[in-house]
Amino acid sequence: MSTHERTAPPREEGVRAAASRDGHGAGTVAPAEVSDRFGGHLAGSPFAAAPRRATLRSTLRLFRSEVGLIFRRPRTVAMLVVVAVVPVLCGIAIRVFGGDGEALLTQVAGNGLALAFVAFSFMVPLILPLVVAVVAGDAIAGEAGLGTLRYLLTAPAGRTRLLGVKFAGMAVFALVTCLVIMVAGLVTGLVLFPVGPVTLLSGTTVPLAEGLLRIGLIALYVTLGMIALGTLALAVSVFTDTSIGAIVTTVVLVLVSQILTLIPQLDAVSPYLLPSWFQRFDGALREPLATGEMGQGVLAFAAYIAIFGSVAWARFTSRDVTS
Amino acid sequence: MSTRARAVRWGVPAAAVLVVAGAIGAGPVIAAVQGDPQLPDLTAEQLLTEVTAKWSGPGDLPPMSGTIVETASLGIPGLPAAPVGTSPLALLSGSHELKVWYGSADRFRIAIPGAMSEQNVIYNNGQTWWWDSAANTATKIKLPTDAPAPGPLPTAVTPPDAARQALAMAETDTAISVGNDATVAGRAAYELVLAPKAAESLVRDVRLAIDGETLVPLRVQIFAKGAAEPAFEVGFDSITFAEPAAENFTFTPPPGAKVTEGDLPAFTRQQPQMPAGDVAVTGNGWTSVVTLPFDAAALKDSPILAAAKPVEGGRVITTKLVSALLTDDGRLLAGAVTPETLEKAAG
Repeated sequence: MSTHERTAPPREEGVRAAASRDGHGAGTVAPAEVSDRFGGHLAGSPFAAAPRRATLRSTLRLFRSEVGLIFRRPRTVAMLVVVAVVPVLCGIAIRVFGGDGEALLTQVAGNGLALAFVAFSFMVPLILPLVVAVVAGDAIAGEAGLGTLRYLLTAPAGRTRLLGVKFAGMAVFALVTCLVIMVAGLVTGLVLFPVGPVTLLSGTTVPLAEGLLRIGLIALYVTLGMIALGTLALAVSVFTDTSIGAIVTTVVLVLVSQILTLIPQLDAVSPYLLPSWFQRFDGALREPLATGEMGQGVLAFAAYIAIFGSVAWARFTSRDVTS
Repeated sequence: MSTRARAVRWGVPAAAVLVVAGAIGAGPVIAAVQGDPQLPDLTAEQLLTEVTAKWSGPGDLPPMSGTIVETASLGIPGLPAAPVGTSPLALLSGSHELKVWYGSADRFRIAIPGAMSEQNVIYNNGQTWWWDSAANTATKIKLPTDAPAPGPLPTAVTPPDAARQALAMAETDTAISVGNDATVAGRAAYELVLAPKAAESLVRDVRLAIDGETLVPLRVQIFAKGAAEPAFEVGFDSITFAEPAAENFTFTPPPGAKVTEGDLPAFTRQQPQMPAGDVAVTGNGWTSVVTLPFDAAALKDSPILAAAKPVEGGRVITTKLVSALLTDDGRLLAGAVTPETLEKAAG
């Protein structure tokens, strides 16, 4: 197959970077990986027999390879471990030291299910945005920095499709991270505390299954918020060749917005800031389900995804890729 | 890629921004395009008659549920712009939300949602529960046996009660008229305008929005003179006239909660500490001035006192709706009137 020759990197450095990033030994090109990522696009070329189906198949293959790439990175694994450890530590701390009067923590002692909720409210302000920013900020800028972006683009896959795949990979990562938090919280709660019917903020007690559903709803809400943040990071990532720049920019934006939300004089601004919506999931724990605020949050997330997704697309499809 | 093609691509995010901005701004624009709702014309007297006929008795509100929003910008110096908590002082500035479910006079629920917390009053056939999720306490409220059953909504800030109070004030010193029909919580409403005739009043008018169909007061606004925005407003943000689900009125203390019996918590009962002594009211109606003995030392560290303006014989605190005069001889005069009126009343 000629792909390999055609896309052969002119610089030895680039090859090594591309290979080692994929987790293979430095200095060796991994033909399987290259053909996996590029071969699919050739199948989707106009010369193929069934172009549309082949395009879909190649997109799927690119997507699978992207997801594999994200989750095989040691840093991703490390981040997921950290994210899973926080609920466990929370649970142990509450078990050992007690709730200490804090109502939310006391509730955990009464019902392990609440631990997942506590874990979310602890991690949503900073840890989760940081973790998502690392993956999303790296998506394009990382490839550009390593010199692999132009090889990805030599295949006739189309930049739109590549960006779409990067977005989907980031979204999958956000979902997996939130599920890891939820499962870690639930399992820790199950092991350390009694589990039974769930007391909601309104004082109503609902059966265990409904409580689980509500926590799942919170996980989905937080996932959507993180996808919105990831889209922002992706947009920044398209503008730069250094992934650390994109990551830091996103995290700084999150921090600055959170400081702005704390200033009462700027109350009028805060509905437009993305992080001010991250923690608005307590409606899921009211009876009847208070969907108003969460609905607004979902709309805000959708607006952020639309705006920054299209910014990323406009920039990515019109820029000159030189690295 | 040509400059033109590039410009076209950047048109997409620009369009996305426009769509989002349009969606945010659409509400007011749609309201402006639709204009005021059209209800059958009523004179002030007809409207007042209908309203008083409906509400002069015990008042049977139709079953409903909704969200009440209270917004105050009284311009009290020294108060933070958005205080947190549910203390009475907190109600004097910022915006507060209250949810109500009303089945009948003996079944209702009020919820005060907070960040990751909620407080509830649930009243069901003579049994009242107060639930505070932050403190994890359920309090069974003992009502004084000789006291009459609480009104439909036992808080001073619900539209029906506020409307009743305002209507009680409508006497000879008030110019009553019907304003343009308003839309409140998506419903067409009559607007009853009560304007004080006295020139020294700080209040321009009080506007009651009354639902065109059910005559339920939906909103009360108090406008200060020379202000376009209401200084105080309480009204429904959303309302549904339907029997709320029965679960809203049943409360069982959740396992693990502290269950106590007691009086209504400080939140609803707490009154400002009235200094002992003679309280005198001079003037009447809109221009009433309350005079009471007051020791300025009690307010020594308060930022409110720091913002007071020294005048002859005392210090004056002015807000949009209320003026207060602390005289050097230990009296406090307050009223919804100009500071000059207070000085005159102080003698």
